[in-house]
Amino acid sequence: MNPTNLRNFIASRTGKQLAWILIISSGLLIAFAPLPDFSRSAPQTHFIRIEANKFAYQPAQLHVNPGDIVTIELASTDVVHGLYLDSYDLAVQSDPGQTATLTFIADKTGSFRFRCNITCGALHPFMIGKFTVGVNQWLYRGWSLAILIVFGILASTHGWRRNNTFNIISIVQK
Amino acid sequence: MADNVNQQTPSNSVRIQPWSHDWQEIIARLFVMTLLIVVLAVPILKFLPKESLEVHSSQALTSGWDPDVIHAEVGQPLHLRFTSDDVVHGFGIGQMDFSPVEILPGEWTETTLLFDKPGIYTYYCTRWCGKDHWRMRGTLEVGETNPVSPPADLPLYLTLGLDLDAPHPSPVIPANKPSAATGSELLATASGFNEYLSKDYYRIHSPFEVYDGLRDTVYSDSERWSIVAAIWRSNTSSEKLAEGKGLFTENCAACHGKNGAGDGVFSDDLEAQGSPAMDDQHGIKKPASLNDPSSILGASPAILQGKITRGGMGTGMPMWGVIFTEDQIWNLVAYIYSFIFIY
Amino acid sequence: MTLTSINNHPLVNKLLTNRWPQFILQALLLAAFLFTILSGWIGTPVGSHNFGIVFLWITWWALLILVAVPFFGRGWCSICPIPLPGEWLQRGNLLGKKSEAGRSQVSKAIDGIGSSEAPSPQETIHRRWPRVFRNIWLQNGSFLLLGLFSPIILTSPQVTAVVLALMLVLAFATSIFFERRSFCRYLCPVSGFIGLYSQVSPLELRIRNKQDCVTCLGKPCYNGSTTGYGCPWGVFPAGLQKNTNCGLCLECVRVCPKNNISINLRSFATDLERPLTRMDEAYKSFIMLGSAMTYAAVLLGPWGALKLHSYAVFTPGWMVYAVAFLGLNLAILPGLMFSLMKLNPKGASPRASFTAFSTILIPLGLMFWLAFSLSFLASNVSYIGISLSDPLGWGWNLIGTAGLGWRPIGGFFIQPLQVLSLVGGLGWSTQLAIKMAKVQNVSPLPAIIFCLLTTLIMLWLIT
Repeated sequence: MNPTNLRNFIASRTGKQLAWILIISSGLLIAFAPLPDFSRSAPQTHFIRIEANKFAYQPAQLHVNPGDIVTIELASTDVVHGLYLDSYDLAVQSDPGQTATLTFIADKTGSFRFRCNITCGALHPFMIGKFTVGVNQWLYRGWSLAILIVFGILASTHGWRRNNTFNIISIVQK
Repeated sequence: MADNVNQQTPSNSVRIQPWSHDWQEIIARLFVMTLLIVVLAVPILKFLPKESLEVHSSQALTSGWDPDVIHAEVGQPLHLRFTSDDVVHGFGIGQMDFSPVEILPGEWTETTLLFDKPGIYTYYCTRWCGKDHWRMRGTLEVGETNPVSPPADLPLYLTLGLDLDAPHPSPVIPANKPSAATGSELLATASGFNEYLSKDYYRIHSPFEVYDGLRDTVYSDSERWSIVAAIWRSNTSSEKLAEGKGLFTENCAACHGKNGAGDGVFSDDLEAQGSPAMDDQHGIKKPASLNDPSSILGASPAILQGKITRGGMGTGMPMWGVIFTEDQIWNLVAYIYSFIFIY
Repeated sequence: MTLTSINNHPLVNKLLTNRWPQFILQALLLAAFLFTILSGWIGTPVGSHNFGIVFLWITWWALLILVAVPFFGRGWCSICPIPLPGEWLQRGNLLGKKSEAGRSQVSKAIDGIGSSEAPSPQETIHRRWPRVFRNIWLQNGSFLLLGLFSPIILTSPQVTAVVLALMLVLAFATSIFFERRSFCRYLCPVSGFIGLYSQVSPLELRIRNKQDCVTCLGKPCYNGSTTGYGCPWGVFPAGLQKNTNCGLCLECVRVCPKNNISINLRSFATDLERPLTRMDEAYKSFIMLGSAMTYAAVLLGPWGALKLHSYAVFTPGWMVYAVAFLGLNLAILPGLMFSLMKLNPKGASPRASFTAFSTILIPLGLMFWLAFSLSFLASNVSYIGISLSDPLGWGWNLIGTAGLGWRPIGGFFIQPLQVLSLVGGLGWSTQLAIKMAKVQNVSPLPAIIFCLLTTLIMLWLIT
């Protein structure tokens, strides 16, 4: 099929409908497809010490693989702090001088915020860290969807110059 | 000119009572005024008499306890309501069998106290709320406000006239951590150690002094250290050590570290702050290391008890004498030796 | 596309033109507003247990950005209590219209025009807003000013109380010296972005028949009449093409002698088919986009140092943050768009394209705010129950919910929702960019690239 035919086909009603079906189904695929299994080896055991002080965790960004057994040791270094892990719905609190631990299996994939769950001063509601299990799935799904929607709309557009038909094919050809 | 005045007169007369004929406007104004009065009356509720005494808590350098002096009468219940204005605090009373009250920011906790004898008590924060947490103390005056202070037993260091601030290194350090178990086996087969095992002997001698006193015996250096460990262990019990550990974890570990290494979470802050929190003149820069064999083997229980009771006098070390009972302090002392002995 | 006029129905029309429903709402909100200020002084300093913080920055903000602005445009302005005291003073009346002697200053001044009699000083005291400031640059400034201090304002009941009290005083003072609602129109930090985003809303106030307005004598909708006041926002309804400056105060609906003012349901974002042409409004769209990204980074991100510096006002670290914040909003984002516009080899001037394509940042920015606010709401919504029961943190338990602990909601669903709103916003903007491009006769690609880039960054910030 030469470029002109292809362009005409895409401009046709059937072509447009097909294009939209393609775009929407790939969108659904990107949004809902289960993630491939990234765990290459047997589950690892992690012991992570997190120091908490006003209003930050150190380290604030953690990364483990799905299925890993994670033990978080929380050590507050100024006042009483806590750690609540979103989606996992797990919590732990620590007084300065007394560490507290939380052990769990990282069985939910994605990136989750963890946040202080006991008022520790002004910025307490914004004392936040990030816990990533495997891949930050919604980042990559989001990025792919963003790019897909832009290309989808551009592809289905006849053109933006007056008296001039234009679509994504001609951009690619250029 | 006169015309102008004449024209304004009727207009002004309406202005004085512009809405008198408009009942809707009157209702509207009444509505707004009622709302304003209701809203502005809310602060009055703050001054209504209350059954309980409200105690606000905030970090020591903000305002600490407010109030920081509370009066009570013997035999009359004292109702207290606590809230925190910043972080988590706790309310505890020194030398009293009273489980501490947790105080959460923006929330209220109530407690009722009943005193059966007059006296002056110290209340203190039980949850670490910053490196100045221990400065958060208040006074509870029960009964007579100027009582003749009861002649409490003087701490041992005063009767003995010990200089708590003098360095007390042990000239000899064992090659390995002395084991109390090994020592007890040796003691079981020996005799003539009864004097060493007594409480009074233990309290006023440093481990090094005992070790040194055994130099004419048949035992090797490490055996002598083990015997010392056994003597120290025999002056406490598992329950007492457990209590000591609990007190240490809650009150001491934040500065001295979980294992007594002087590396608690506030040690860096204290070091960075330097004088006046830490005593520069004596070269004290950090919380003391309690697992340093040299200084602990050279310190008698009386010295450690004195230091805990009196505090660091200008260093960051709080005065615990008004908080802990004498038994609690002895248990704490016994626990501290567990950093250098294997119990 | 207009779907229907909602005030065609006599009952709805009655409800809207009667002053009582709106007045009661406004008066209650004024009381709530004063209570919010009061709670800063007498309530607990712990923000999460103080009515002021919980009801302003969690409840009101979420309702505003998730419901009021997208669906009702300037609906909030229509019941906002801040301009009330000043407006009551200007009118000498709370409700309705005073009889002849108490006519509004405006209509008196209008009467005075052409007559030899000089208006008395009292009548000229309400000046027109200075010409140089008849734009939203001051609103851009006031919003950025709040933005610079927002980590403190958002968390401290006392500071929130001071800011609110200042707004009330400023609105009142403005109404003494200037005519109509000059504060709302030119100063209020919130009004600026509500106006910008109200173009998206499916609600609009427009005239029904232009001819009726042309032939209308006295134009009471602008000048007032014996039954009501001229437009407090200084807008002539017949000229309305966008929602931006219409405060939905419904005054024109009340005074129009020909019932020619209609409140229409329409498709979303109808106003956006007309591109922005003013630099101040174009900048507003960048400021809103940049602020949403900044807040997502500072408040929701895992970077503790950033939070601390943004909070430690007037320290060197904060100065760097302030320069970065202002730079992002006033230089980097607009600069990026402007340089992308220059890529267009021919067509309209970069300046015209810049303002026109700023229009597409309106749906994008609104969706950025939606994504940010969803997460903010989900993690803090449980404070509402606590604060309702114990608004001042005094230990009350009015409705028995004071003891409910903090608990975030939404769990696994918040992130997909945020992604959906951001991607949806990007698609919306892309389509709009293509429409703009047709009008401007230039390529939409530079603007689309801008939207894609900022969306990818925002996705990274919130996931």
